[in-house]
Amino acid sequence: MGSGRWSTDVYDAAARFRAATGASAFAYSDGGATRVHPALDPRGVTARESRDSAEHPDSVAIAVLFDVTGSMLEVPRTLQGKLPQLLGLLLRKGYVRHPQIMFGAIGDATCDRAPLQVGQFESDNRMDDDLSRILLEGGGGGQKTESYELAMYFMARHAATDCYEKRGKRGYLFLIGDEMAYPRVKASEVRAITGDGLQSDLPLTALLAEVTRRWDVYYILPAGASYVGDNEVLGCWRSLLGQNVIELTDTDAVCETIALTVGLGEDAVDLAEGVGDLGDVGSAAGPAVARALAGIGAGQARLELAASPDDLGGPSGNVRL
Amino acid sequence: MSHVIVVDLGYGDAGKGTVVDWLCSPRGGSLRGAAPVHTVVRFNGGAQAGHNVVTADGRHHTFAQFGSGTFNPGVRTHLSRFMLVDPLALAAEAGHLATLGVPDALARLTVDQDALLTTPYHRAANQARELARGSGRHGSCGMGIGETARYALSHPDEAPRAGDCAAPRALARKLALLRDWLAAELGELGVAAGAGGPAGARGPAGGVPSVEDLCVAYQAFAAVVPLTGPGHLAGVLRQGRAVFEGAQGVLLDEWRGFHPYTTWSTTTFGNAETLLAEAGQAAVRLGVVRSYLTRHGPGPFVTEDPTLELPEPHNRRGRWQGVFRTGHFDAVALRYAVEVAGGVDALALTHLDAVTGQPVRLCRRYLVDGQPVARLVPGPERDLAYQERLTAMLLGARPEYTEPSADWPSLAGQLLGAPVALVSRGPTAADKDQVAPLLDQVTGTWRRPGPVLLARASRAGCRPRRSGS
Repeated sequence: MGSGRWSTDVYDAAARFRAATGASAFAYSDGGATRVHPALDPRGVTARESRDSAEHPDSVAIAVLFDVTGSMLEVPRTLQGKLPQLLGLLLRKGYVRHPQIMFGAIGDATCDRAPLQVGQFESDNRMDDDLSRILLEGGGGGQKTESYELAMYFMARHAATDCYEKRGKRGYLFLIGDEMAYPRVKASEVRAITGDGLQSDLPLTALLAEVTRRWDVYYILPAGASYVGDNEVLGCWRSLLGQNVIELTDTDAVCETIALTVGLGEDAVDLAEGVGDLGDVGSAAGPAVARALAGIGAGQARLELAASPDDLGGPSGNVRL
Repeated sequence: MSHVIVVDLGYGDAGKGTVVDWLCSPRGGSLRGAAPVHTVVRFNGGAQAGHNVVTADGRHHTFAQFGSGTFNPGVRTHLSRFMLVDPLALAAEAGHLATLGVPDALARLTVDQDALLTTPYHRAANQARELARGSGRHGSCGMGIGETARYALSHPDEAPRAGDCAAPRALARKLALLRDWLAAELGELGVAAGAGGPAGARGPAGGVPSVEDLCVAYQAFAAVVPLTGPGHLAGVLRQGRAVFEGAQGVLLDEWRGFHPYTTWSTTTFGNAETLLAEAGQAAVRLGVVRSYLTRHGPGPFVTEDPTLELPEPHNRRGRWQGVFRTGHFDAVALRYAVEVAGGVDALALTHLDAVTGQPVRLCRRYLVDGQPVARLVPGPERDLAYQERLTAMLLGARPEYTEPSADWPSLAGQLLGAPVALVSRGPTAADKDQVAPLLDQVTGTWRRPGPVLLARASRAGCRPRRSGS
């Protein structure tokens, strides 16, 4: 923010004016930006903080970082258009009373201009500003690997959350993409991107142990990306995260999937209820979400779903799990 | 056309925004047979304004540059040549309005091409200068308003104006000149051009964007917002009804306020009257006052009472403006405001809900060195030495209170010499009641009451003494 009531950030302003003349929700990227927006630059960031406040005394940190490289094709644009609904969805259904959401983006540290972009945790729609600032890469290495490990490194070492520090409760970290992580966190890349001086490279398994102390980590593979259904990619993530790997057959259902995953994690809802909730709010994503979360939801919910597909509110009315 | 000018008679924060919103709403003037308001015209100040409006369904926006009527569909905003325009803040403000269900604020905006631009360079200079003043701060809002005015005075032809945004080469040249001139004067600010990387481009107060980046943003602004020439506003005023929305308050006026605790703009009806005269039009002059008095930052405030605890949802301590202060109804200062503003036709009395059941008192006169003072005598035009003596006198004045002898609207009307036409008991248009006619219901024109009566109030008038005498 600038010093006044309204931000006077020159890049935001240019992007907003362009958006007013043209058509893009990805205003910053489509405005011709070629570098990470300063507000999302991880360099020199001590910590992205998710803190309690008088207004939000029981905050729960939820971080969503998605792959913005070329293999994702049009998916990042879809996500950018959909993700602003996440906060409202969580609150409307009472899955979490005080969510604090952060958005970020993942690229490829070996060749991209923006290997990592990280917004702030926000309790209101200010995180949408971060979303519109994300620079779309469109590049990507074509080796089925992107720098997911750098995103996890950042979340392990540069995120501070009251839910964990005060209440010992893990936050939710969603990684959305269609490729694998590199097998180790490279010290040279960490230095270039965050400024941290790492003594040596950090193996992915060691990092995973570190990041899962503070975060429940989920990987979402969205439909419409290049490597959908690729067994090597899925197998890699399943070996790392077990059942926390979600195949999303309808990209439009990304918010519902994330919201319901959080709702399940918070024990605020079971899968059948949650899918019903989606119908209540007019979402057609029920069947897609039910499919995506079949591995996470309770087995009991699975039976109920199969027994009464008409309750789902989805267009097909035909749910196979 | 039945135009109206809305001016705050105090130190700002009286509720101009909510009054303008009401005037533009179906509950306002348009119910009375007049045409709905077509345009809100801003005629002083800049992005430092903070006019709070709350809609009936609870949406809240602090209007800074957009007119406070913007929540009402179709109501346009014109930033006249007297405004200091900050396109960067405009973009963010439009963005917030969009999240509140007003997606077309920019599409309803026109800006006079002669309006001065407030840039990040002005802002950095403003903040550095204010910091250097230390405890002697003037209560600047840190938005670069003063620097914009100051630079335009010394460089009338080279100061960047809104129209330059459509002329890339002139724009770049003027921005570079401005940046270099400020850097030469205040180099220690770190007004460094073209900060190399993303981190530097958005550093602390000293970090400023490059001329190139600014040009990109300003040209994008010019591509969206029509930059109008002479005669445009006159045409608008002949076609539709306008509300002229003042910023800040008469007691902060650059010439009539208590120097040096003033703002760099004319906060009286003056600029609006000039614009109206150019169109051959006239308007009703509506003065807005709270049922008590407030002030942001330092400067004279005779009736200040820190023990008054009144609800204040939207005003907090600003980093650059300092503390938000509260005090009792000061008829002496407000009568002075009416007088230097050239009189008002009607009053809007706001925050009546806040004083209900509260120990708010009424100050009809001060004691200065044991002598009663009921009138502050306006000095000669543009005599800052006189204003400074007035300030010194006020800093030594003590309030003499009486308990309110009637309801606040009657008292305010009697004491300020104009009828209270509108009372406000809350933040939304629905919380306002029109208690005296503003519009003649037959002709649809604004009713002009008689001249402001100041003779009775001036009996115990007092001029400040010359310093040293």
